Amino acid sequence: MPSWAYFQPFVVSGLALGGVYALSGVGLVVLYRATGVVYLAFGAVGAMGALIAWSLIKDTGVPGWVGWLVCVLFAGAVTLAYGMVFGPALAKRDPLIKAVATLGLTLVLFGVMDLLWTSGGGQSRAIALPTDNGGFVVGQLQVNWTQVIGLGAGIAITVVTGAFLRYTKLGTAMRAMANDRDITATLGVPVRRVEAAAWLGCGVLGGVAGLLLADLVALDATTLTFLVISSLAAALIARLRSIALTFVAAIAIGLIHDLLTPIQALSNYRDMTPFVLAAVALLVLSRRSVISLSREEA
Amino acid sequence: MSGSRAIEVDGLTVRFGGVTSLDGMSLTFEDGTCGLIGPNGAGKTTFFNVLSGFVRPAGGTVRAFGEDLLSIVHFRRARWGVRRTFQTEQAIEELSVFDNVALVYEHAKLSGASRRQDVLGAISFAGLEVDPYATVRTLGAGERRLVEVARAVVGRPKLVLLDEPAAGLPDEETEHLGEVIRRIPEQTGALTILVDHDMSLVSACCETTAVLDFGKLIASGPTAEVLRDDRVIRAYLGTAEFQ
Amino acid sequence: MADTHTAGRTATGPQRPPLRRPDARSLVRPAVIAVLLLFVLFALPQLLSLYYIGAMTQVAVYAIVALGLGVLVGRVGLVSLGQVAVLAIGAWVAARLLFATSLPYPVVLLGAGVITMVLGTLIGLPALRLRGLYLALITLMLAGGITVALATTNFPNGGSGFLGYNGSSVHIPPIRRPSIAASDPAYFRYSVLVAALMFLLVLAHIRTRPGRAWAAIRQSELTALAAGINTTLYKLWAFALASFITGVAGGVLAGAIHYLYSIDFPTQDSITLLAVVLMGGAYSLWGAVVAALLYQLLPALLNNWGVSSDWLTILFGIGVLQVLTTAPAGLADQVPKDLGRLGRLLRRRVLPGRVLPGRVPRKRLRGPSQSGGGAG
Repeated sequence: MPSWAYFQPFVVSGLALGGVYALSGVGLVVLYRATGVVYLAFGAVGAMGALIAWSLIKDTGVPGWVGWLVCVLFAGAVTLAYGMVFGPALAKRDPLIKAVATLGLTLVLFGVMDLLWTSGGGQSRAIALPTDNGGFVVGQLQVNWTQVIGLGAGIAITVVTGAFLRYTKLGTAMRAMANDRDITATLGVPVRRVEAAAWLGCGVLGGVAGLLLADLVALDATTLTFLVISSLAAALIARLRSIALTFVAAIAIGLIHDLLTPIQALSNYRDMTPFVLAAVALLVLSRRSVISLSREEA
Repeated sequence: MSGSRAIEVDGLTVRFGGVTSLDGMSLTFEDGTCGLIGPNGAGKTTFFNVLSGFVRPAGGTVRAFGEDLLSIVHFRRARWGVRRTFQTEQAIEELSVFDNVALVYEHAKLSGASRRQDVLGAISFAGLEVDPYATVRTLGAGERRLVEVARAVVGRPKLVLLDEPAAGLPDEETEHLGEVIRRIPEQTGALTILVDHDMSLVSACCETTAVLDFGKLIASGPTAEVLRDDRVIRAYLGTAEFQ
Repeated sequence: MADTHTAGRTATGPQRPPLRRPDARSLVRPAVIAVLLLFVLFALPQLLSLYYIGAMTQVAVYAIVALGLGVLVGRVGLVSLGQVAVLAIGAWVAARLLFATSLPYPVVLLGAGVITMVLGTLIGLPALRLRGLYLALITLMLAGGITVALATTNFPNGGSGFLGYNGSSVHIPPIRRPSIAASDPAYFRYSVLVAALMFLLVLAHIRTRPGRAWAAIRQSELTALAAGINTTLYKLWAFALASFITGVAGGVLAGAIHYLYSIDFPTQDSITLLAVVLMGGAYSLWGAVVAALLYQLLPALLNNWGVSSDWLTILFGIGVLQVLTTAPAGLADQVPKDLGRLGRLLRRRVLPGRVLPGRVPRKRLRGPSQSGGGAG
């Protein structure tokens, strides 16, 4: 068992990673509460956005921030488009079906990414944000600004979203819709517009997360697409309900994942962290219910 | 005391999150057919769900014919003798009428000796005049309800729960349904509880009726009296004055 | 209460016995299947090049896997996003047994099936109390988890120890095949026969008590419980069945490709598998064959023609969206619109006068009636 000194850098990277997972998890939860859709394509849109940014920056020489902006806008636009086209079509269906539908989008994006940016061929891609270079030192730890942004964005999004849902009209409308879309519509809430806002917001977060993860982890279509699993795990631990719990769970997942790195015996298995944590949490939390009744059945 | 043919409900309370669906319901259902009425959301289906074992009460007991019903696992209650129909008809489309009705036999491990006769008998008792091997998908809504009723009387039931069996049916079919329901206790010996909004159906079928409102029992007794009770009328019409 | 307008019916019930006398029409389908099977077993290997024989062997393997997923999704209404991971486990077990022992192939296949079944059931047991959505998401994460584990433990390659993996071996022995089916065409026939057996096993389930219980559970779990069905048991049974046949398929796969690598079982494959199963039709057994053809034959064709199979991934993604938005009732709808229409068109041409499933209008039947269009 390595000494504490070995673990320290992983605390930093784990917190940064957890912060990005929290950002993503919050996006997933808010969208689910507003529309009933578990947006499994979240990672894929971010991945493709990051790849587009990379290509733009490399091939056309635009300044970095333009590329990142395109990434975020792309993710937001695709998500919004999906939500506006397929949201109404599947609105009355079971959440399971809505979630599987987003897998369709995931496959489409995956195929496009593999076509346009073929994997392998020896080409390794990377996104380097300027914040990678600067940083500061805490005790013996190096912390770069990107990691600060990762954790900071996670905290900021959690707090802002929590406040938004509670104190703004749009946020309250989203909470109402999570409860009952039809009744909310009859109250005069512009349901479609609220949904559009939720989809767009989630997509934008997907783009931001994609960019950060491309920097912190790797710029690879498969990796980035399936990193959604970690955020999803955090959201599931929070039962797709509580923003605060999503944050805590995400930080925990990020931390535990990275802290396992220096432990020889477990290091190779650390990518199982989100699954194990989510499985345990779900099973513990579901022990009490006899049978899950939908609201209408009860 | 096994041998008493009654359902004794004592202090039954059910909570969902912040809502109390049943609030200390205490009532004895005697043999025969009992009605259970009340405005929407009064807790009638919740009560049935407790009897079916789908909902765990926060407190209270239910003794059915001297046995503790709540201690039986939900899927074993069919073997014990509970039969249930649901608000939205749930005759299994993919299966034939025969297979639908025989489901209880297959899974509640009742003796199969006279299974075929019992099933066919139940089908004709319900007045279903279709080929028993027809797939339920080919039947109309009224016939599907009758399939559910047939399923409810098969295999020596002890307690038959009918949840708005006539909902959405035209008058003629409701009448036919009423006739069938009235004969259930004599045909099967089961205690029958009928939930419905159709007051003529309830008065035609039930000797006694209980009324729920906001999870509380507000009246019970002979049907005709209950339906004339002021509190009951107020509960349905929703006037502001409460007693 | 004998109604006068129901001729031929007495108070004790109709005269027809529960088991139908086989008539000419109901023998047509098994006959067609038998002919098709003979064609596939004997004529196909002669007609195809080795490349396509290999592809069709994969079709046989994945038809079994698609069948397992079809049972879960189409019959019970459970979505599993981890079936390819289950296939990998089956392949792993089979490879281990094949290297470590000299058991005959059928025993190895059985062993792979049983061990995979036990693992699948153990994992499924706690997960089955979750709502459908959570179950699907947990299986997705399971697939990811197993992929990770496999990348580290690797597949057996003749080494010793529990994992049977020798990281430094220069010469890796190929996974053996049964002596009677060593050549590619022979192994193709072998895999088709195994697939046929698996289909028969599933059919036996569907036509009997478990199939009826699943039909009830899928439509309404509450109705099933109220009818005395132990829904957890039957869901587990479905999981066990799907895991068993997928484990067997893994064994067949091991012998087919000789060398197993964890990159052969990526997480996204489980998603693609669900896509093709939905497109082929999760409910019907034929749908599993269609799904496997989409999943393995089309890429082989495209590869041969120099077209990237990424286009298929995109197609499948669109297919999922199309199926879900047009299927009126849940994932377990009978053959999706387009393929269904195509199938009916073909059948109308090939078998005139046959009652077509899924399209019988809701009539009120009075008097001596015909049976409604049967399913599956």
